[in-house]
Amino acid sequence: MAGIFVYSEDVVLLEQLLSVGRKLADALSIEVTVATMYSEEISTDEIIAYGADHVNLLKGKNTWPESYAKAIYKQILQEKPSLILIGGTLRGKEIAAKIATWGMTGLVNSATDLRVIAQNIESDRLLYGGLAVCTEELCDGCVVTVEPRVFEVAVKQAGRKGSVSIVEAETSIETVVGAVCPIVHQRADLTIAEKIVCVGRGLNEKNDMKLAENLAEELGAEIGCTRSIAEDYNWLPTEVYIGLSGQKVKPKLYLSIGVSGQVQHIVGARDAKIIVAIDKNEKAPIFAAADYGIVGDLYEIVPTLIEKLKNR
Amino acid sequence: MNIIACYKWVLDEQDIKIVPGSLLLDMSRAKGKISEYDKTVIEEAVLQADKQENATVTSLTFGNSKVKQSLKDALSRGPGKGYWVNDAAADIADGFVTANVLTAALKKIGDCDLIMFGEGSADVYGQQVGPRVAAMLGIPVLTFVAKLKIADGRVTATRKIGDCTEDVTATLPAVVTLLPEINKPRIPGLKQVLGAGKKPVQEFKLSDLGLTEKEVTPKNKVKSIRGYLMDRKNEIHKDGTAEEKVSALLSDLTKEGLL
Repeated sequence: MAGIFVYSEDVVLLEQLLSVGRKLADALSIEVTVATMYSEEISTDEIIAYGADHVNLLKGKNTWPESYAKAIYKQILQEKPSLILIGGTLRGKEIAAKIATWGMTGLVNSATDLRVIAQNIESDRLLYGGLAVCTEELCDGCVVTVEPRVFEVAVKQAGRKGSVSIVEAETSIETVVGAVCPIVHQRADLTIAEKIVCVGRGLNEKNDMKLAENLAEELGAEIGCTRSIAEDYNWLPTEVYIGLSGQKVKPKLYLSIGVSGQVQHIVGARDAKIIVAIDKNEKAPIFAAADYGIVGDLYEIVPTLIEKLKNR
Repeated sequence: MNIIACYKWVLDEQDIKIVPGSLLLDMSRAKGKISEYDKTVIEEAVLQADKQENATVTSLTFGNSKVKQSLKDALSRGPGKGYWVNDAAADIADGFVTANVLTAALKKIGDCDLIMFGEGSADVYGQQVGPRVAAMLGIPVLTFVAKLKIADGRVTATRKIGDCTEDVTATLPAVVTLLPEINKPRIPGLKQVLGAGKKPVQEFKLSDLGLTEKEVTPKNKVKSIRGYLMDRKNEIHKDGTAEEKVSALLSDLTKEGLL
């Protein structure tokens, strides 16, 4: 079997990919080749310590990651890897789709697990908004993307040896990139929050956000919301909605108020250690996904909860 | 100028039940719908065409014989003509197969200036058919688009990618994949629904598209599809006063070391 090829433009994600990539490679007794964009700051020693056998730094004239798709594919043509593992940022997913097309191979986006069974690589990914898990036996040379924080950063092994090469990369110029604006996060990063209070449509009006804010303050939590609160009502910025196409969070405590719990939302929250739900509808699907819950009017429950937290 | 709005007819995931024990999916009660992401696509195609002189919007889908019922819904949302690739192979198609089929259909339709897709479908959310089609056609793709402008034979998109937005311009023909936030799809009125019945529809069979066996064979082997097992404590306080329920919850949270 040929090796495993790992690419991401994001070095932290690369280190996470290496933990699963190394595990698969060891199970199959094959090597791991890493490709990433060249930069002055990058430490190839670290990448090797995290599990790479070869590191190829792609040096091109363009700084737009998407323009490296052809150059990455060229590397793949040389290496003929058994598995192509790509960091599942949105940029990475675009590159993955192009590479899979040129290589006339399969693409599994957002894999949640990868393992070796009887010398074959298998992947898991979610279907139907997170309702189901699909397990696939991958074809040789399949492309798989893995999103940030699905795997822990690999364990560093001091003294690991590997080779490094700098590759002149031809970058494509079929598009012109204009203004690039960082999204200014008005609130803390939910993906690293320890506690989250999540609001849903059970809230009657925007003013009632105060209730959620007071609760969050007492708990030391950040505030998140469902998609409709951000996109239909615009009560909170889109970057704090939790769900399949929003944020996927892993707090110790996720406490929802007035969230019915559609599967597309739950999928963003179900990696929480403890899920707590407060909602008046006993049949709301959120309760099936919750560890603890209260069936009741949030306008009665939440103030009582705040009061009791204050008096502790 | 011709804008193509590609859409997928999917089962409504709200109606899918997980069979306890086996965790198999019971789809017997699931009704079909146009993927929510793709309603946005059709809407954007129509909104953009309205801003251009002499622009037409054409819808395109690939699905089994049941997908016929989607055409009226799609056309009631504004496109002037609907294309439909009818084959049961769609039921097990992966992104590779779907892209091959749609690319072949697009070549047959000809004259496609801007081809629009959703960022993913509401059922399998494979997130790949749009960029795959662009790569096969050898034209630019702008993915994860939150805002779109067409002028002077070029398309400029504001992409929203994680921690930043960026404006990217490409010369037409091009492919774009859209984020749901780009618009709010209309709800067609009775007049639009009735009008849709009179709009032209063209059906392709897979055999019309000249694809090889290999091109319509999925790449990976699906071993199983099982309901996601939700393993939670489900200790829900239903009875008593607000005071009692909150006290019970607080003792739960204390027990978990969360307070």
